Amino acid sequence: MDNTAALAPAPIAPAPPGPLASFWYAFRENRGATIGLYLVATIIIIALMADILAPYSPFEQYRDAVLAPPVWSTGGSWRFILGTDDLGRDMVARLLYGARVSLLIGLAVMGISMVVGILLGLASVSAGGIVDVVITRVMDLIMAVPSLVLEILIVAMLGPSLTNTIIVITIVYMPRYVRLVRASAMAEMSKDYVTAARVIGVKKLRLMFVTILPNCLAPLIVQAALGVSDAILEAAALGFLGLGAQAPIPEWGSMLADARNLIRSNPGVVTMPGLCILVTVVAINLTGDGLRDALDPKMRRS
Amino acid sequence: MREGEGFKVKPSARTLLAAAKRSDFSPSKRVEICNMIKYFINRVLLTLPTFVALMFVTFAAIRLVPGDPVEVRTGEHGITPERLAFFRHELGLDQPVWKQFFDYVWALLHGDFGTSVVTSSPVVKEFLTLFPATLELSFFAMLIAIAIGVPAGAVAAVKRGSLYDQALMGISLVGYSMPIFWWGLLLIMFIAEGLHLTPVSGRVDLIKYFYEPVTGFMTIDALLSDQKGAFWDAVHHLILPSFVLGTVPLAVVARMTRSSMLEVLSEDYVRTARAKGLSDFRVIGIHALRNALIPVVTVIGLQVGTLLAGAVLTETIFSWPGVGHWLIESLARRDYPALQGGIMLISMVVIVVNVIIDVLYGVINPRIRHG
Repeated sequence: MDNTAALAPAPIAPAPPGPLASFWYAFRENRGATIGLYLVATIIIIALMADILAPYSPFEQYRDAVLAPPVWSTGGSWRFILGTDDLGRDMVARLLYGARVSLLIGLAVMGISMVVGILLGLASVSAGGIVDVVITRVMDLIMAVPSLVLEILIVAMLGPSLTNTIIVITIVYMPRYVRLVRASAMAEMSKDYVTAARVIGVKKLRLMFVTILPNCLAPLIVQAALGVSDAILEAAALGFLGLGAQAPIPEWGSMLADARNLIRSNPGVVTMPGLCILVTVVAINLTGDGLRDALDPKMRRS
Repeated sequence: MREGEGFKVKPSARTLLAAAKRSDFSPSKRVEICNMIKYFINRVLLTLPTFVALMFVTFAAIRLVPGDPVEVRTGEHGITPERLAFFRHELGLDQPVWKQFFDYVWALLHGDFGTSVVTSSPVVKEFLTLFPATLELSFFAMLIAIAIGVPAGAVAAVKRGSLYDQALMGISLVGYSMPIFWWGLLLIMFIAEGLHLTPVSGRVDLIKYFYEPVTGFMTIDALLSDQKGAFWDAVHHLILPSFVLGTVPLAVVARMTRSSMLEVLSEDYVRTARAKGLSDFRVIGIHALRNALIPVVTVIGLQVGTLLAGAVLTETIFSWPGVGHWLIESLARRDYPALQGGIMLISMVVIVVNVIIDVLYGVINPRIRHG
């Protein structure tokens, strides 16, 4: 204690910020990313609180007010602020619940494909040989077929539904995660600290998950963030083609498909679901870009 | 790029290599050519397992589809056991599964991709009549993406940090995030329906112009037909769909050109070119841009798959009679042979295009094939 007291008068530099703090500092530098993050947070809150925020049930059909115009156009009323669709369902409620459906799909796809990607990628690196060849070839095959075409094939097999949308998109987007984990784990394998860990006899499982995996996380987190927005877009496209979530689930893509023949009469019904998709995807992409810049300035998005 | 070491070079390849070794080129050139041939053969051989797997997947997928293929063909009512047996035999369904698979592969290798149960015409024939429409649409989409994206990205890099740069990056982010099926509907709503600037759907005004499809490309056929105004009418029909399909590639190309250009502009040879006193236009337009375009070419190649996926959506919105529209229709009509053959053919096109791009890239950029 005496010793530290004696040293105290010397000017002490402030402790360097922890990894989380320095990441946050770098992230905050990027104005777009900060805006994106706030937007994403808002959308998440909307999705969680849809029950409270929505004025009506998204399934309730008000037969007396079919295709009611939004409040600002002639004939609109405060009863349905954004109007109703062709079955008399409140647009506000359907759009709010739509956020829940889209985020659910995006996060589920991201979560599953990240876990599977880590497992397959690390298995590929640690087992090598035939396991590696088989995993890489299967992933190549999935990447070789255009995403939507493969999705059509699988939906033809499984039938269209919300769960199957998640399964289909996970299959299509998984290779990105597998390849990423495999490539970065490969790069780490040749580094000195891995050799050192091997020399002192660290078991394979521990080596993979405890020693190597944390060092591959940065690009994986970025891929995961951008993967959510891709999954949301893909799910909306499937919904639009009638191959995704089925009626009456308020999914933005299928809402657009339902509104397709209303282009002339009710532009609002067509505009709003798409705008919701666009804003959500832009917000997530902004955040993802910021994450990438903050976590690894060298990585560039193609 | 992938490096295929798992495959041995076949005898024919060996003779090719030997021929290259024996020739009169200088030693370094000879090594270069050998490497290139090796790279090319490896790349082609690497696609073989993909093709086999693709055959297996399409075969298995269609077997797993709910519903009996005989029922689809004959309807659910009034079929005698004898006729059922006859149809099952005709479709080869009474054979063991492995035999069915080999029959399927055998047929594919002979160019038989099945017969549509709805139109009773060969799937290949339907595909080939519709594919030019998709190709024409994709070509114009890519043309728009490159013609706007490359200059826009290059200027943004030169004026880094300017208002223009920031605006372009913002727009490209929105373009990259765009749900194109909604974008298409919006453009139809405002440009086609609202301002009447372009037609809403179709490839050419069939009431005014009629001509024989020679190549399947409406614009070329219109020129060949010698009818006044037909060409412009075809282009007029193309503008909106190809702009919609080109939106995402446009954003990607602009971004990629900008970042690649930024990298190149800080290289020594650009400084040297400047020091030599070359004009800004020559330095940026010739020295820098040419090198900056190498990664852009790869990105354009990678967009082929995206483009075909986007074509499914774009064709659906604009009732464009291409293969994407046809796939969705086939699925809706439960025409599974058409779906199976169509997916097989589209995937083959994408795989072959990717190989061609990889090989071209290897020719342009020697670092890849030595890697």
